[in-house]
Amino acid sequence: MKNILLLFGLILFTESALAQGPRPTDIAASPQPVGDAGVMWYTTWDTALAEAKRSNRPIFFMAAAATCSGISGVF
Amino acid sequence: MFSQKEFIDVSRKFVCVRLESYESKEHQDMVRKFLDGRFENTAFCILAPDGETQLSGTGRGPEQALRRGRGRLDDENVVTKLETYASDYRTKGNPDEMVLQDFHSFRQALNVASADQRLLVYAVGPESAEEKLRQQLRPVFASKEIIGLFHLDFADKEKDSKWTSTIRKSSDRDGIYVIRADEFGQSGEVLERLDLATDPKTITGHLLATNLAFSLLEERKDYASHVSGGRREGIHFENGMPYGEDRDGDGEIDHRGGMGKGKGGKGKGKGRTPTE
Repeated sequence: MKNILLLFGLILFTESALAQGPRPTDIAASPQPVGDAGVMWYTTWDTALAEAKRSNRPIFFMAAAATCSGISGVF
Repeated sequence: MFSQKEFIDVSRKFVCVRLESYESKEHQDMVRKFLDGRFENTAFCILAPDGETQLSGTGRGPEQALRRGRGRLDDENVVTKLETYASDYRTKGNPDEMVLQDFHSFRQALNVASADQRLLVYAVGPESAEEKLRQQLRPVFASKEIIGLFHLDFADKEKDSKWTSTIRKSSDRDGIYVIRADEFGQSGEVLERLDLATDPKTITGHLLATNLAFSLLEERKDYASHVSGGRREGIHFENGMPYGEDRDGDGEIDHRGGMGKGKGGKGKGKGRTPTE
């Protein structure tokens, strides 16, 4: 019984950890060299929607923060 | 994943939009729309070009948003799935007429440029000349040489009037500025300034040269040491909305370790900080 409870707890913990995404200590430096081309992001909804309608491309929508614990300059 | 070549290649078949979660209520309302009223600091989904029709599920990462059932996809399957979505749409229009990137504020543009470690191209000119300037810049930023290398922002004379106060080597003159953001994205330095009348080919040449110099100067940030260093230095970025998440969807930021006041929490606590 104890083992089953432990297993259940582990599953819950793992799912919860995955759902929250990686913690800051799990993330290191981006492997991409500085200066290389990356994803071309639109950073306002209006510009993205206008471009999607103009080009008939689907939208890859993402909301995220370029801050961690209120500390800026990080993604 | 975002730094992988295969992912970057397939991303060109989409219009990729990244809204700053804490920038405004409007941004948070969009997240709530896709998360059934909840607010989490990170959310992904795929939408049709109309911006309304949701094609995928929603998740904290593409691996979750694009899965079917429980679990998460690996990177290769994410790319395959994205290819499938893209294949349903035939791209139209001339790339040289693309809508250009812009930010709601210079302050946020600098922060994002720092976070991504990309140079920020900042266009400062009279409102009357803005359309002409955009026409000039469209072929530059649509070109395969430039796409995905920079962030681009157009100055709002009123809202961004104090931009020179945080940027070294800046001036009050109009121009196309290439700015290197500092470590925490709250200050920076002008690396290059071009006249507004500079032709697209010359702009492209200067941008590529400046980006090359930047790539030799800038070292990749390590996320964990960046955050711990920021804590030590007392760095704080004031955003438009309070930090935290509303996972129970009661409209209020959850109290640390619990739900919002709708489900037994305090509701008005400081809440979780982004990605914590």
